[in-house]
Amino acid sequence: MASALLLLLLLSLASASPTRPHPHQLGLIFNLNNGNLCLQSAQCKSSCCHRTGSLSLARCANRAAENQECSPKSIYGVYYKCPCENGLTCKANKTIVGSITNTNYGICQDPRSSSK
Amino acid sequence: MLGIWILALFLLGTARGEEVCFERLGCFTDDKPWAGTIERPVGKLPWSPEKINTRFLLYTKKNPNNFQEITAINPASIGYSNFDLSKITRFITHGFIDKGEETWLSDMCKRMFEVEDVNCISVDWSGGSRCLYSQAANNIRVVGAEVAYFIKVLKEQYGYSPSKVHLIGHSLGAHAAGEAGRRSPGLGRITGLDPAQPYFQDTPVGVRLDKTDAAFVDIIHTDTAPTIPYLGFGMSQAIGHLDFYPNGGVQMPGCTRNPVSQIVDIDGIWEGTRDFFACNHLRSYKYYSDSIISPDGFLGYTCASYDIFQTENCFPCPKGGCPQMGHYADKFKDRVISGIQKLYLNTGEDSNFARWRYKVSVAIAGKSKVSGYVNIALYGAGGNTRQYEIVQGTLKPGETYANFIDVELNVGRITKVKFLWNNHIVNPTLPTLGAAAVTVQAGEDGNVFNFCGSETVRENVLQTLTSC
Repeated sequence: MASALLLLLLLSLASASPTRPHPHQLGLIFNLNNGNLCLQSAQCKSSCCHRTGSLSLARCANRAAENQECSPKSIYGVYYKCPCENGLTCKANKTIVGSITNTNYGICQDPRSSSK
Repeated sequence: MLGIWILALFLLGTARGEEVCFERLGCFTDDKPWAGTIERPVGKLPWSPEKINTRFLLYTKKNPNNFQEITAINPASIGYSNFDLSKITRFITHGFIDKGEETWLSDMCKRMFEVEDVNCISVDWSGGSRCLYSQAANNIRVVGAEVAYFIKVLKEQYGYSPSKVHLIGHSLGAHAAGEAGRRSPGLGRITGLDPAQPYFQDTPVGVRLDKTDAAFVDIIHTDTAPTIPYLGFGMSQAIGHLDFYPNGGVQMPGCTRNPVSQIVDIDGIWEGTRDFFACNHLRSYKYYSDSIISPDGFLGYTCASYDIFQTENCFPCPKGGCPQMGHYADKFKDRVISGIQKLYLNTGEDSNFARWRYKVSVAIAGKSKVSGYVNIALYGAGGNTRQYEIVQGTLKPGETYANFIDVELNVGRITKVKFLWNNHIVNPTLPTLGAAAVTVQAGEDGNVFNFCGSETVRENVLQTLTSC
């Protein structure tokens, strides 16, 4: 319900946006830039829909770089800590509780350099 | 006889200059160039000082959270306050619609207290800023006169030199600072944060902020699109000793969000609504505020245009270093060349806005030509960066691709880099590519770091290159 309302708001306000020199950059539902509100990671260019707390709104954000905190890919599609950038794995202790509450946090690591 | 009378009436009709005079501040006319020109079609006289009610809200290290209101009309109020005559003073003046108690002004003061001990005065003129734009654009003449009067009282009653005064003005406030500077000989510095465009662009020097208004004038341009039809509020004209055009000065990153995402901001609905109407325009004070705590994160590169800055040349900084946009621009005060100096840089899309620029060139090794992109991440003593795209398109082994990246942290001395490539489509031949050599040049000092690699990797696998 809340998400449908959000979508409706998005569409209704889209026409009210002030015209700027580059209006084509304005994403509404897909291909969203960082900072735009999202419901699913698939909407974001960065493929991470990130929120800070369980009650806060989610926005597209950069994926985590090496040595930053991360979450492994989850079925929810929304993250408290973004997944890692390409080539990195999120080294986390996965627990059942963690995968239900989406809190399997870890650190992004390069699988090739950790073996050395 | 009749002819003379007609002539006299005709002359009176053309020069129908009205004038208002106020004690302390003097007279204000609506003669040319203040009105009746193409840039300023509607003539309005400024409101009275009582109506505009310019207030000086003092924040110091002793009272960073609650201001003390001081006034030059009663100079004793300065003596009773935490105002420290041995410290420099920075005035911050807001613009159209805004008010001096808005949080960005006191937040900027708080940032300053992290790095220095200053008298930080927020100038509130909300009595004169919330009206028709043509009226507000004239009210700033009184605001400037009030600030100048304050500086004069400081000098006469307390022996405080105007050279220790720095005026920071946003939008219309920048031109108010210009007016104050014109009336205060020997003023130290004025910073114009996206000076307002309508009624000021292309007007004579006496009307707007200009480099003649203080010993050192630095400008940050963030919204220079024409007001008609693009609703750009800031001046594109270079008017200071140093004119910075972050991100080219027209469209700021982070300001192209869809309306709901813009209004429902992380910093609250009020901040979001402000950004909805004037995101680019308000970025100027956000950059300034961030520059206080990131001295080397806002280096401006001298360049002919933003397009040239984006592609080549204008890199790295010259021998003496690049001027720093924002708070520390005055470090470059003594090396200002005469004439217009336009400086370009890129910033982040959200706070923290500071960025560090590098030139990265990658020599590709491998067997087959593929289509895809190449990413590079920098690793150094100060940490490591995200991956930045160097090239996208056809990747030919043996070719060298170069690009500029603006990274989010200062990695310091670079010890290694990582290379990653990715194909857009699944390729059943499983090609491998590698970087034979990567050269990274830092913009700040021009230092070059060389890295070598000997292997090739599959897509989405990181290749580490070490120094050579």
